[in-house]
Amino acid sequence: MLRRGRDRGESVPVDVDVERSAVEAARRDPRAFEALYRKYVAQVYNFALYELRDQHAAEDLTAQVFMRALAGLARFREQADAPHSSFRPWLFQIARHALANERRRVRRHPEAALDLALELAASDDVAATATERVEARRALRAISSLPADRRRALVLRFVNEMSTREIGAVLGRSEGATRVLIHRSLQAVARQLGGGTEQRSSPQGARGRSAH
Amino acid sequence: MLPEAEYGAIQSDSYIDALLKAHARLPVPLPTASSAPQPGVRHVIRLLERGLPRFHPSFLFEERLAEQLRAMAAQGPTAAPVLVIDRRLLFGGAIASGFSIAGAAMVAWRRRPQQASRD
Repeated sequence: MLRRGRDRGESVPVDVDVERSAVEAARRDPRAFEALYRKYVAQVYNFALYELRDQHAAEDLTAQVFMRALAGLARFREQADAPHSSFRPWLFQIARHALANERRRVRRHPEAALDLALELAASDDVAATATERVEARRALRAISSLPADRRRALVLRFVNEMSTREIGAVLGRSEGATRVLIHRSLQAVARQLGGGTEQRSSPQGARGRSAH
Repeated sequence: MLPEAEYGAIQSDSYIDALLKAHARLPVPLPTASSAPQPGVRHVIRLLERGLPRFHPSFLFEERLAEQLRAMAAQGPTAAPVLVIDRRLLFGGAIASGFSIAGAAMVAWRRRPQQASRD
């Protein structure tokens, strides 16, 4: 279940024309929906797992999302003025609504499974120093304690690598409001991580990491 | 003049974009000292960009769902989504078996004293 890195191409920005063609093909023939499913299944699963913190619950939600998307594909409309295809935000809107229903249904949120996975993931990165691993775990805990919209915005931005415009479409906010939401979430996490961040983020360190 | 929060938000956003595009090996303008976000925020951005793990669903789950979607697509666009997860059936079956065993045990337990008293 757990794999780190960007090995399935989901980090590559969406090619608008290819994406729109794929959506159009699926609308004409539902059997073509599988291409969209394969492309986004891991992303939807990630979103669900970060929210529900349970592998089986995340699988159930992922299944619900794609079945609803396939059933409702005829109602989907591309936004002509958008730089990206609006399919992905639409898919995540479905996920958000499904999640709200799930939250109403189940009040209990098991945390142990994902926490364990996150611990493993954080310790799996051989390139990271021990200090980085400890800080990554603290950052994960800080994100978990954020209000839902802030937490979701950060997960969509960093894990699913969505643009602020796409995240805004998912969360029902303007692009500017989403940017401010993300910025404030980052400030909140920085505050929770406490002092000493200035020392760690020296200009040398910043150059070293942003260069790869 | 932009309010401070919006200015900071734009700086953070550009910085995140730069890091994500660098991973995708896309051309990206390097952030300068004046356009970079505050050190604390910059540190968190780098931490999240590197430290947030990505997960993949299991192969079995992915294939099983693909099969269900194919079946649904073959039925036509108006087919109502029916979610069937084998795990639940197994779990339900286990509960049903549990009740059966418990029921049988209860019957045996209730009959035993009667037989004993008859003896």
